[in-house]
This record gives sequence, structure tokens and C-alpha cells, in this order.
Amino acid sequence: MTEVSLLSLVKSYGKSTALKGISLDVGHGEFVSLLGPSGCGKSTTLKCIAGFEDVTDGKILFDSKDISRKLPEDRDIGMVFQSYALFPHMTVARNLAFGLEMRRMARSEIADRVARAMDMVQLTPYADRYPKALSGGQQQRVALARALVIEPAILLLDEPLANLDAKLRDEMRGFIRDLQKRVGITTIYVTHDQNEAMTMSDRVVVMFDGEIAQAAPPEDVYDRPASERVARFVGNANILDLAVADQADAETSLSLPGGGRLAVTGGADAPVSRLRVMARPEQIALTGPGEGHIDGRIAKRYFSGGHVEYHVDTDCGTLNVLCPTTQNVAEGANVGLSFDTRRLWPLPGAAHVTAEPAA
Amino acid sequence: MKRARILMLIAPVAALIFLFIVLPYVTVLMMSFRAPAEGQPYGAGFSVEGYRQFFSQSYYALSLPQTMGLGIVTSLVCLLLGYPVALHIATAPKRWRGLLYGIVLSPLLVGIVVRSYGWTILLGNAGVINTTLRNLGLIERPLPLMYNEFGVVLALAHVFLPFMVLPLLASLQTADPAVRQAARSLGAGRFTVFRRVTLPMSMPGIQSGCILVFVLAISSYVTPALVGGMRVKTTTLLVVDALIDQFQWPFGSAMALTLAVSAGIVVLIFARLTRIRWS
Amino acid sequence: MGLVTPLLSLLRALVYVFLLAPIVVVVLASLNAGNFLTFPPQGLSLRWFWTFLNNDVFIDAIVYSLILAALATAVSLVLGTMAALYFVRHARREAEAVRIAVLLPLILPEILTAIALLFFFYEIGIGTQYKIALFTGHVLMTLPFVFLNVTTSLQGRDDAVELAARTLGASRLTAFRRITLPLIAPGMATGGVFAFIISFDTFGISFILKGTGSAPLPIQLYDYLRFNFTPEAAAVSTVSILLTLVLVTVSNMLFGRD
Repeated sequence: MTEVSLLSLVKSYGKSTALKGISLDVGHGEFVSLLGPSGCGKSTTLKCIAGFEDVTDGKILFDSKDISRKLPEDRDIGMVFQSYALFPHMTVARNLAFGLEMRRMARSEIADRVARAMDMVQLTPYADRYPKALSGGQQQRVALARALVIEPAILLLDEPLANLDAKLRDEMRGFIRDLQKRVGITTIYVTHDQNEAMTMSDRVVVMFDGEIAQAAPPEDVYDRPASERVARFVGNANILDLAVADQADAETSLSLPGGGRLAVTGGADAPVSRLRVMARPEQIALTGPGEGHIDGRIAKRYFSGGHVEYHVDTDCGTLNVLCPTTQNVAEGANVGLSFDTRRLWPLPGAAHVTAEPAA
Repeated sequence: MKRARILMLIAPVAALIFLFIVLPYVTVLMMSFRAPAEGQPYGAGFSVEGYRQFFSQSYYALSLPQTMGLGIVTSLVCLLLGYPVALHIATAPKRWRGLLYGIVLSPLLVGIVVRSYGWTILLGNAGVINTTLRNLGLIERPLPLMYNEFGVVLALAHVFLPFMVLPLLASLQTADPAVRQAARSLGAGRFTVFRRVTLPMSMPGIQSGCILVFVLAISSYVTPALVGGMRVKTTTLLVVDALIDQFQWPFGSAMALTLAVSAGIVVLIFARLTRIRWS
Repeated sequence: MGLVTPLLSLLRALVYVFLLAPIVVVVLASLNAGNFLTFPPQGLSLRWFWTFLNNDVFIDAIVYSLILAALATAVSLVLGTMAALYFVRHARREAEAVRIAVLLPLILPEILTAIALLFFFYEIGIGTQYKIALFTGHVLMTLPFVFLNVTTSLQGRDDAVELAARTLGASRLTAFRRITLPLIAPGMATGGVFAFIISFDTFGISFILKGTGSAPLPIQLYDYLRFNFTPEAAAVSTVSILLTLVLVTVSNMLFGRD
């Protein structure tokens, strides 16, 4: 098990800067996801760790040893690529054996380890097949086994589920997570899918424009986003821009358009006149008109099996509300909306967006 | 340092092309403006004598339009012969496609000298075609099939037909079959689909095929020499004659460049006439 | 309408015959027992093959052409593969320029390129001596075919495989040898076969740059055909067709169709 530290990584291509000083510590056996839109620098970070890109500035440490200048083959990493990058001219068993052959391991030892790895990903019957003859999910498992069979110091995964269909993706998520827990390997996972990052990781690192916007456990990123941008990227967010009525030490009271009040814990450090608060769709409940914090009118209703999603027009704008299917209201109906005040999250102003140092 | 290593991949070819294509073509251009001389390839100083010589003698000057005509007719023949074949291969069942493809490519596997030679065997006065027709009693005297434009165009069309079929095939195969089905579903008959959809969509292939065949045809040497028996004077034959046999380098270069520029103009006009707006 | 389809089929069949006829006719003519290329042939015989086998001029020309083609192909394979690797993996904005530059020998009229090379080599004082000009010309003519085929076999490939090999501990060289090379081998084989055939058959370059002394087969054949009409030329042509077929078949057997 290895600890990975990124110390102010900078990567520039000519004039453009892809990474603007990334600092991150990944602990022993930790599963960390780098999450962000395309072009945010998450893949570049991974390429720097793998050694495919030279860093312009900063250091990469594996267990406190600087490996920034080492060649990819000397870094002792296992990597799973988005395209799987299986060697098409080698059978499954030969694919798995490749890394061990590079380590000049004895033949019998290689056979032994390959057999165990194939068993681990349940591919033993396919040992002599070529990658082309396997399904997407099977190829994915071969890629995973090939990266793990060399028992690398760390495991890097670059959008490994992007090419799978939805059902298989859900299945593989659990599979990868279980395997990682069982092997206990330090893992860095790159994805643009927030669901994937949430369900799999110990910690999610949200990146925008070559910088870390927030690095925190999934619950924190979801419930307590560091900025409005993080809030909107990670799930659906209703943002209410409200006037401050009263500001105490630990609590801020906000005025609602209908005349009501809304109390939130936390808020701005300095006195402010307005505050933006975030409410997730499932943190808002439908009530009768006049019974909730504010009133509104159902503009759209979408049924999605497990839930019903309502778009409700209010004086605070159109809000997204997610309800259990037992609660059924027709389009056009007048309703009240009640917020789960304990989970309302006051968003830090633009000036407060900081790269939160890792725990 | 990394970049330097990558550049090493392309450096040898870049040097090769620069040294042995770019510089030599510059040499030809300069040669065409050299002064002519007796007893040696070229004299001292520069002049436009080479060009004047070419345009002032009708024997040489008239070969230019004739060569262009030969190239254009060859392209057309190739298009007419190649289109049905390309269409056939594009729509043929998979197991046949390989064989048909092989037949179309087969001329490429046989040297241009051998192929032209094959045509002389077929087209000669005592050749296969004339003898067969005579034995069948259809003709009394042999038909003049060789040593004329007809024979040269026929042989050129054969030699270069693969260069027409390949681009046609490429453009026909990239066309999504669903587009044709869409046209049918909108009420177009098979012929209308061909005229309004398939044909226009294969325009890029027609364009590149015609240009390729035209350029290859006007600059070919062996086929006009063997099948035309030096009686069909193409500019290319005259160029080689001036350079190799008469040792007149500035004149030959001027003629070669005039041919190349004329060909470029014909190609540009053709590209302009068949301009494709949608791609 | 009812007549169009059969007419089209007939035209198609005629084109296929047209494509094959001159080649078939050459092979048949080589089996002619008579002294001249007469039709129908005066009996079947292999006598012209024996004449050809005893004719040093043609044997020399074939050997010469084979050696020239082998050397030119070897050089083209190395340079063309390098250029293809650069083009597919590393070229960005300059990609189109690289492609056109490498394909120039194919785009430009062969005879004009040959003349240009002739002048150039005279200008630098070498002329047609030592066969350098001829060899350079053959490398130029064969290079595009290697480039095109290797490019095709690289473009269908996942770049990440080589990176994957690196993460598994392979050095740059090992990754190339164990992963990239086997993957582009079919493309290189096809490109190599193309290059060999082009060099073996090319006329313009050899005709202009051959210099004095022995000449490649197409030139020898052309010189012979200008003044002779015996079936010996057909026998030589048949042998050259057979050599090509053997080459294509062997390479297909070794590397499969890609």
C-alpha cells in the first residue's frame, strides 16, 4: 500500500496551462475520484501520475519518494484505460502475463499468478480467447486484472466505464469497488460521471479549469459544496438568492418572498445583505398551498418510475422537487413547498471558493 | 528533448522529399530557362528560348491540345466503364466482393510494359481481335485498332481503370445506405434514387478518379509508345525525345513544364465545373 | 426499364473481361509453339521459356530488378513506417502537409519526377553513376505505398496499447517491439509487397535514370518489344506475373489479409 502526494503540480502546453498547481494527498488504500467536466485537467493529472506527461512544475511523491522524473515503466503503477487498451494480438492469459514477463518473473510463477488473477475477475474459461471475442464487460475485467496482477503500488483508472451500457456500468461499479477493497490498493479514478464518483469513492476531488474546487467525502461534496459551480456539477441543485433579515453567530435568518422566514445554520463570516442557499430536489417537500415556506404552481411533472419530478414555479424561480410516487399532484395545481432547513446549505461567495486541503 | 526524438521519426523522409523532390523540381524550372547549346545539354545564361521553340513549332505546340484531349477521353472512358463496376462491387454480397476487388486490382499487379504489350497482341493487324473477326468472315482487311488514338485510349483506359474504380468505390461505400432507403421511403423509384441520391453522393469519387486518370494518362510514356507505335505524338513522348535522344535540356524542360501547367489548368477547370458545395 | 438491368450486367461482365484480357492473352501467347505471335497459337509448348532461361540479358534484368526492388523496399519500409508513426501519433496542425509531402512522388507525374531527378543528379555531379539516382527514384516511388498501408493499420489501432505496455513495465523499445510492431506488421507486409511490385514494374523512373550497363526488367522488355515480336517477351512477362503472384500469395499466407 502506497501513499500518493501531489505537490503543486503545474502542467503547461506552450501558453495554455492545463494544471494550475494541484495539491492532493491520497492515503494508504484510499479510493479517490477526480471528477470534473472535460478539459478540467483530471485526465492530465492522471497522465502526470502515470508518467505519460512531464510535469512543468511541482512534484509527485509515492510514499514520500519523488517519482516525477521517472519513466512510466519504472513507476510501479497499474492502469486501466478508457479504451481498455488490451493487446489485440495476445490472448487473455498472454495479456495478463505481459507485465509479469516485463518483471522477468519465472514461468511457473507467472502461470500461477495469471491463473489467480483470472479467477479473481471470473474469466478463467476465457484464458485462450482473444480480446476481440469478449464482451465489453469481459474486456473491462481483463484490463482490470492485467493492471492488478503485477501488484502495483497504485491503481489508476481513466474513465473505465465510459464505454459500457448503463446496466453493465452499474454492475461494474460494484465489482471494481469490491475488488479494490479486497486488494486494498491505493486507487485514483478519473470520471466525469458524478454518480460514479459518489458511489465508489472514499473521497471525491472536484476539478474545474485545472484547479481543485473541492476535495471531500461524497456526502460533503453533495450536501456541503464549496461553491455554486460544484453544487450544480454534483447533482441537481436549486439555488435561492435571498435577502438576509438577521445575522447571528451560528444562524442566519433569510426573508422569503411570501413574507416567511428561513433559518440556516452557518453562512457568511462577514455581514452580508444577501445569501445564496442550495436545496437539493429531494430536500424539498410538497405541501398544501400556504402550508410550506413558500407557495408555487406545478409547471411540469415527470414520472420516472421510483420518483416523480416536479418543476414548480415560485417567486424564487422555478424549483426542482423530487417526491416519492405516493405523492401525486397534477400539472397546474397550486402547492406549498417546505424546505428541510437542517440541510439547506449557504453557498460561500465567489471569494470563498478555496481548494480545501485534503484530510 | 522528447520533441527532438519525435521529430527524428519524420526527419529522414522530410529530408528525402526536400532533397530529391523539391530541389529537383526547382532544377527543372531553372533548366527550362537556360540557354540552348550545341553539343552539350545547355549553355550559359538564361533565356526563354525553350518556351519560344515549343510554341513556335506547330509540330510540338499542337501536341499539347491533342494530349489533353487524349487524357480527357481516357478519363471519360474510365468513368463509363468503372462506374457500373464500382456500383456492382459496392452492393455485391460480401463473399463476392473480394474476388471482384481482385479482378479490378489485377492490372496493378502486372507491369505497365506487360499490360501494354498485351494490348499489342490483342489489337495488332495479325492480333487476336483482327484474326478472330477475319476467321469469322466479318471483315476482309484488318481493322486499324493499333498505332492510332483508338488503341492508345483503349490501352490507357485499361491501364488506369483501377485508379478510377478505387476512389469511386470509396465514395460509394462511405455513403450511408440508409440515405438511399430514406429516398425510397419518400417515394423515389430506383432510377430516381440513383440519379438524385447515389450519383451526386459519389461526386467526390468521380472527381478524384477523373483527375487521377487524367494526370496519369497524359504523363504516361510506355503505352503511347508501344500501342501508338510513336505514331500518336503525345507531349510526354516529345519531352522524352527532346531530353534523352536530342539532348536538348532547356527545350525539353520547357515542354514538360508547359505540359504540367496545362494539366493543372485543365484539372482546376474540371474541379471548378464539378464543385461540390455540400462536403 | 426491363432491359436496363440485363444490359448493365452485360456491360459489367464486359468490363471484367476487358480488365483481364490483356493479361490472359500474354500468358497464352507465352505458350505458343510458333516463331511469331500468331493467333490462334500454333500448338502449345514451353520452348519460349527455355529460350528465355538461356538468354542472359533477361535473366540479368530479372535478377537486377529483384535486387533493386528488395533494397528499395527495405529502405522504404523503414522510412515509410517512421513517417506513418509520426503522422498518426504525433502530427497535429502539420499533419496534412506531412501527408501531401510523403505522397508527392505518387501525385506528381512519374516521368517528370524522373527528369527532375536526372537534372538534379547531373547538377551535383553524380549523374547516373553508381545507380544512386536510380535507387533514390525507386525509394521515392515506393515510399507512399508503405506510408499509406502502415498509416491505415495504425489508424484503426488504439494508441493506448503502447502506453498500457509502459505502465506494465515495458521500456519504450520493448513496447514498440512487443506491441506496436506486431500490430502494424500486416500493414507493413502489405505496404512492402506493394512497394516491391511497384519497384519491380515501374517504368518512367528506370527508363530515365538507368544509366549505362544492365537495366531493370521493364526497360529490357521495352527495348526488346520495340524491335521483336517473338513469344519470348510473353514468356518473360509471364514469369514476371508469376513472381508477383508468388509474392502476394506468400505474404497473404504469412500475414493474412488485413
